[in-house]
Amino acid sequence: MLKFLIWPLAAVALLALPHGLSFSQQEILVFLTINILLVTSYRLLTLTGEWSLAHVVIMGVGAYASALFTKELGIYVPVSMLLGGLVSALIAVILSFPLFRMKGFYFLIGSFAAGEIIRLLWKHFRDPFGGAKGIKGIDPMPDFSIGIYNFDFFEPVSYFYFAGLVVAVCMWILWRIERSPVGLTFHAVHWQDKLAEASGVNLRAYRTLAFAVASGFAGISGALLAHYIGTINPGSFDLDYMVFVLTWAIVGGTGTFYGPILGCVALTILNEVVLREMGFEQARPLIYGCILIASILFMPNGLESIVQKFTKRRAKQ
Amino acid sequence: MISKIMAAGLSRRTFLKSTAITAVGAALPGAALAAGEPIKIGFLAPLTGAVAAWGKPGLDGCQIWAERVNAAGGIELSDGKHPVEFVSYDNEYDPAKARTGATKLIREDGVSFIMMLGGDTWPGVQPVADKTGMLFSTLLPSDLSPDSTTLIAPTEVHPIYLVTGVDYLADTYPDAKTAVICAQDDALGLPSVATYLAAFEARGIEVLEEPLLFDPATTDFAPIVTRMMSSNPDIICLDTCYSDYVHPISEQLFQQGYEGKLISATADFYDQMIAKTSKEFMEGFIFQFPDFDDPALAGDNINFEDAKGFYDAYAERHPGEWGAVSWEYASIMDLWKAAAEKAGSADPDAVITAMKEGGTGKHAFGDAKWWGTELFGIDNALVGDWPVVVIEDGKAVIKGFKSIPDWYDQHGDLLIKHMQAYNQMYDQRG
Repeated sequence: MLKFLIWPLAAVALLALPHGLSFSQQEILVFLTINILLVTSYRLLTLTGEWSLAHVVIMGVGAYASALFTKELGIYVPVSMLLGGLVSALIAVILSFPLFRMKGFYFLIGSFAAGEIIRLLWKHFRDPFGGAKGIKGIDPMPDFSIGIYNFDFFEPVSYFYFAGLVVAVCMWILWRIERSPVGLTFHAVHWQDKLAEASGVNLRAYRTLAFAVASGFAGISGALLAHYIGTINPGSFDLDYMVFVLTWAIVGGTGTFYGPILGCVALTILNEVVLREMGFEQARPLIYGCILIASILFMPNGLESIVQKFTKRRAKQ
Repeated sequence: MISKIMAAGLSRRTFLKSTAITAVGAALPGAALAAGEPIKIGFLAPLTGAVAAWGKPGLDGCQIWAERVNAAGGIELSDGKHPVEFVSYDNEYDPAKARTGATKLIREDGVSFIMMLGGDTWPGVQPVADKTGMLFSTLLPSDLSPDSTTLIAPTEVHPIYLVTGVDYLADTYPDAKTAVICAQDDALGLPSVATYLAAFEARGIEVLEEPLLFDPATTDFAPIVTRMMSSNPDIICLDTCYSDYVHPISEQLFQQGYEGKLISATADFYDQMIAKTSKEFMEGFIFQFPDFDDPALAGDNINFEDAKGFYDAYAERHPGEWGAVSWEYASIMDLWKAAAEKAGSADPDAVITAMKEGGTGKHAFGDAKWWGTELFGIDNALVGDWPVVVIEDGKAVIKGFKSIPDWYDQHGDLLIKHMQAYNQMYDQRG
């Protein structure tokens, strides 16, 4: 019975959540929701054993594409968001040709270089990318009403509901992919690549598939960001942001679907809410860094290991 | 209920009044303050990260300013005197965080005015400003546009004041006839490049090659310096590079044996630059931001009260941290205080009306006029004289004040030409 109730209860809790927060916390909640999709999509790529440093830039590809579709072609915002995701996936497929000639550390460095090339292209071509200043005045999600509630997308609560729905659907798809035979093959590509290859699995094709799917969802997260803040520039998708994604994944753990989400939620709350509220605004990078080091030293398997310990104990009882 | 509130239309007042936080006590912008209640001023700038040098020293300066004002009784509005209090939010020079910060300062902290560095962060805040009518200030007039009437640039008229440094250089060293420029490729660097190009052209100084625009993530400046020196210029211009770049570029120039003239918008923490190079190398370095213990700032034309006292207090509390922005936000507050006292209110509309009355204002470096329609589409920049500063014997010295409007009257067409070439005119941005 509890199993059937848990999802409706979670939905009600999420609907009520922003109303218990302050305005700035509601804003942070919107960005957190977007980042959850980003880090969850990143995990899909890590299933194949590859860690990319271009994921945030690929997110930016979706943001730029969606912004330009609405600004230049007048495409309806939700449609342009989907198209932004598709463009990101397409760029990932193109990048996969040179990148998947490499593995491991070489792939990591190659992906960094690919990401930097894309960022330089945004800067170099002022038309249409706006150069270093980027694009501003990006069309917001158009307001609408569903009778009992008017969606005003300037308001973080409305945008949280919209982004939350999009992110929930995307995460459900990512979850289904991971649980499908394709997802199992991703695991095999990582842990038993020789055996998988001997069984007829095309390793490169599966790595490309994971890269493209992960990039597509990262692109949607970028589009969600662009249409909320109304401006993007190459600095919005720089290496600093990528380091945050990596730390969310590492601190949360990548062994489970929820690990990176835990990392993202815990570290965002720590950095953006707790440390600011405690008056450590200017000391945040120092304290954040110390906590990261401590968590890696004392929790090498990430935050997910705590949840696993707890759930195993309950199962034994 | 929510639907009804929203359907009624979202004016600035209903937007603010319908919020839960305002219901629990945060003041509306401009709403009457209780007697003696502090006036809160928002400080929304980078306090950490690569651009922190143009945020944190400003906040430190504001704290000293607030202590001085509060010690004198506070700000006198129509209902009596109020102390002033700064509420800061570190936007990390990120537009998304700037939006969050603006929301917090307006809707939770109830500030009456918000000071920003501007640049890349302003587009994230602009919708919040438009929706709430809050009065914002920027240090970068290149953020100004007719779309936002509540954004003002009352102190720093970056990058237009840069022309005064080039004028001084051309007058003092008439043999220096060639230059190269480098800048980080961003919202600060590009309009600055356009201004230097105009200023050099106006004085017949040839720019030997296209300005060298480097990525803001650059950490190794040796190749950039080598390339700049390869054309053997008389002048190397460091544009409006962040201090994180000015220092290593100067160090590289020193190591690679450069002997020509150096000009830059800023030379923050120049004592560290001297330590990394030499007193002789830094001799004659031209920039635009004085130390406030300079005797030239004790003149009657200066509208910054007790500049030396302010500098001394700053140097005592934050030794070695005096920079370009240490005084600028405090100077904005001088203007805001005068306007609020004139209006008798902290209401954003009343303050901006009082501030712009008569089309003139008291800028820190002398009386100035509200200006900018041609360049920014709106007269929201306070422009007048600006000092030229030169390092002499290891100390920054003001060599004189030059009029920006006078230069613009003669060479405005050149500035517009180069601004257009870099897509920096207000109608080209975004």
